Amino acid sequence: MASISVPMPGAQAAPRPRLSEYLRWSVDHKIIGTQYMVTALFFFLIGGGLAMLIRWELLTPALDFSPTGSAYNSLFTMHATVMIFLWIIPFWAGIGNYIVPLQLGAKDMAFPWLNAFAFWLIIPAGALMLAGYFVGPPEAGWTSYPPLSVLFSGDGQTLWIISLHMLGISSILGSINFIVTIKNMRPESMGWFQMPLFVWSQLATSLIQILGVPFLAGGLTLLLLDRVAGTAFFDPSRGGDVLVWQNIFWFYSHPAVYVMVLPGMGVLSEVISVHSRKPIFGYKAIAFSSMGIALVGFTVWAHHMFTSLSPELRLPFMVTSFIIAIPTGIKIFSWIATMWGGKIRFNSAMLFSVGFLSQFVIGGITGMMLGAIPIDIHLHDTYFVVSHFHFVLFGGSVFAIYSSIYHWFPKVTGRMLNERLGKIHFYSTYFAFFFTFFPQHLVGMQGMPRRVAEYAPEFQILNIIISISAFVLGISTFVILFNMGWSLNHGEIAGPNPWRALTLEWQTSSPPPSYNFKGEVVPFEDPYGYGTEASRVYLDEMEKRLTPANLLGKGGDSGAGASPEPMTGD
Amino acid sequence: MNLSAKGGGSGFNPVLIILGGAIVLVGGYLISLLSPSLFPVAASAEAGPIDQLFRVMLFLGGVVFMLVEGLLIISIVRFRARKGETGDGANFNGNVMLEVIWTVIPAIVVVFITLYSYQVWVDIRAPKSDELVIDAVGQRFVWNFSYTDPLERLTDYPTQTFSDTVLHTYVGRPIRLKMQSRDVNHAFWVPTMRIKQDLLAGRETEIGFTPTVAGRYRVVCAELCGSGHGAMYSYIQVYATEQEWLERFIDPKVDFIVNPPTDPVALGEVTLVSGRDGRAYPCSGCHVLDAIGWAGLTGPSLNGIGDTADRRAQSNGLADSADYIAQSLRHPNSYTVPGYTNGVMPQFGAAEIEPETVDGAYYMYMTTEDLVNIVSYLCMQTATGESACGDIDAITAAVETQSQ
Repeated sequence: MASISVPMPGAQAAPRPRLSEYLRWSVDHKIIGTQYMVTALFFFLIGGGLAMLIRWELLTPALDFSPTGSAYNSLFTMHATVMIFLWIIPFWAGIGNYIVPLQLGAKDMAFPWLNAFAFWLIIPAGALMLAGYFVGPPEAGWTSYPPLSVLFSGDGQTLWIISLHMLGISSILGSINFIVTIKNMRPESMGWFQMPLFVWSQLATSLIQILGVPFLAGGLTLLLLDRVAGTAFFDPSRGGDVLVWQNIFWFYSHPAVYVMVLPGMGVLSEVISVHSRKPIFGYKAIAFSSMGIALVGFTVWAHHMFTSLSPELRLPFMVTSFIIAIPTGIKIFSWIATMWGGKIRFNSAMLFSVGFLSQFVIGGITGMMLGAIPIDIHLHDTYFVVSHFHFVLFGGSVFAIYSSIYHWFPKVTGRMLNERLGKIHFYSTYFAFFFTFFPQHLVGMQGMPRRVAEYAPEFQILNIIISISAFVLGISTFVILFNMGWSLNHGEIAGPNPWRALTLEWQTSSPPPSYNFKGEVVPFEDPYGYGTEASRVYLDEMEKRLTPANLLGKGGDSGAGASPEPMTGD
Repeated sequence: MNLSAKGGGSGFNPVLIILGGAIVLVGGYLISLLSPSLFPVAASAEAGPIDQLFRVMLFLGGVVFMLVEGLLIISIVRFRARKGETGDGANFNGNVMLEVIWTVIPAIVVVFITLYSYQVWVDIRAPKSDELVIDAVGQRFVWNFSYTDPLERLTDYPTQTFSDTVLHTYVGRPIRLKMQSRDVNHAFWVPTMRIKQDLLAGRETEIGFTPTVAGRYRVVCAELCGSGHGAMYSYIQVYATEQEWLERFIDPKVDFIVNPPTDPVALGEVTLVSGRDGRAYPCSGCHVLDAIGWAGLTGPSLNGIGDTADRRAQSNGLADSADYIAQSLRHPNSYTVPGYTNGVMPQFGAAEIEPETVDGAYYMYMTTEDLVNIVSYLCMQTATGESACGDIDAITAAVETQSQ
């Protein structure tokens, strides 16, 4: 057990909001953040269930489990859409909502009402997406290339468009909120480069969203008009062009990959530093590389079109795609250097972050391979690509989400997650993940395209291995769900700062009161300044100040609530 | 903050660094040795340089993999908090030299692989002399390749092209495919040749490659095109010599045009299997018909269609099987089989117009003669082997009624 600060004997967790608070309109960023996260987890289960059905179908080379090819196509279409737009992106919006204001020492987000509005768009959008199943689900893939998506996809495709529109509005509103909050609501003593790196990653993510989503929205509108109003933006027989959609779609959807990965990288910066008990290595390099990735990420989109774009235009996108490797490499080496010389505590949060590093690097390497046009010509639209982006989005994003849950669950609920269950969850997920996705490289290289329900018989053995691993992976998810449910009431009481972390979200009770902080908030001069005498003094001081008696006591400016002077090093 | 500290107790020993570097490089090399076994046989001139590029990337990737995983494992073993340890780690948070190294070295590698990939890309795209130009058509869910006779024996015949669902060629001859889609986007992919190019609705795209190893290889559709996408594959038949290609593929095709059979049933079968006079129909993409090896997934099965058509003709108040089959081709949405969706099957109309959408379904021109032959052939698909329809005159009459 890595908990260092032991709660006072007989201490109670700080009071939690009642369940009913979570079921209605609330402008408290912590309630909204939790609403986001729980909603996202619900959709994670749906998306995961669809993945299980996909893998069941692929146990045999023939189309036998799905009644028709269309039914199978709708499975992977909905799986991808749900996982991207209703699980990973909303989860990051949720954890960002909960943690960013706390890390900034703020009482709430800049626009609390807008914040609630952005969340409540998710519910009808998700309902519309799933309602596709009652009117003929979309079956053109999450990329929904026309003419297929216009001519041969159910009415659910129209709902899909409307749902994505709503989710896009939600993302834009949420992002504006993050940007304004981060710019305006820092404490006076916190400069840009004293911000926790998770905040930097949310800033980079938000910038991507407000720049990128409008393009997707424009494309979706044209697609909607082609479907319902008889226009021909993408219909070549009447002067339209199918490549226009591909360009618009990927101009948003490639940066969307960074929307899903950058917050995870932010989580890693927090988790690795705190649990290695060491300052983050190369703070500015990590912060700037987030911005670099966000920026360069807008120039690589057409590497998704290496087999459709005219050959002369492919080259610049190969160059930009390779360049992305440099800031990504900087981050990976910086995290390893952060661990180097530390006193690493291998709790579940840290395990998932290290798991991220070890798996994400494979996704990075295969990303470089796919960036090379001649190699991509062979591997484009094969299982190699499926494997690549699951190493990035599962081995990356979802591992980081798990890490963030183990790291911040104590803050959100006031209770620790069970470490034994956490380790069972980690090891089962880690190996099941690897054996689900690594063999997909091999079938792809051998010649199996993606998005097929029937495949050449020689690929069956690998597909059986993949499917069985996928079922184990699916089951492993229930370990963390059970852990969360059980620990909510039976977990060890966390206390304000179980990890002895320096960032501000830990300098208040767990869960924080609705006003977040009692008294003035004074951040430590360096959010990652572990290993110094000054940081130990600061943490000891905060621990005394945050005793249950003081936390539950009345009045915000009594002696106990006085802020300790920020300590200077040496 | 203390920038200068290199870390208490974690100083760098040059011998260990050189040793580690050697292990990482050798490991990367060993990983790259796997490269040939990961790919299917390399059957084109393009496959060689592409596989070599992959092998170099696998080496570089292997080095990165060994380096990152190695450092992670060392960190985990060396720097994990032992039982009872509650202190913090060393306080250092940067090292300019290290950060420069891990920015500059990857940048150099990126420049190298950019130049190398560019070189390979230029090489495999270079146009070859004496290319065999073949028109390829992708259509849900079938491939069709059309040829002209290289010996120009068909100059006096109304149609000078013939087609096949299999791409026939021979070793050493560069091919240029001019590709068009009749409906949605598709992608032409031959895994053994490492080449792929999308077929885009409304555009002609092309790709060149040179088969180098005789054999029969899968042609795969790699761009999602709908319900039967997974079944949209065909083959490329690579003959060892030009002579063999001429004798086994070109000559019979030419002979068929020069001396066509007169039996409508035989003509119908050929029309369905590989098209006739440059016209080919995509029926095999969706339907099952065991007699000629169709295994489509999207439409109703045509096994025993003669008997089925008889029953469906009666229940729908049509004259006979021939009437029903002709109707189903000319106006496919009229009597959609229960459980199937309108608008999926193209309409095979009697008017000679460019392929386009009519009432939400794709439109293709089908000559009356082809329709008569096809109906004659399909009428033979009965349990008894006897035609379910009348004689050729009756079938012609039925077809002509439906063609108006």
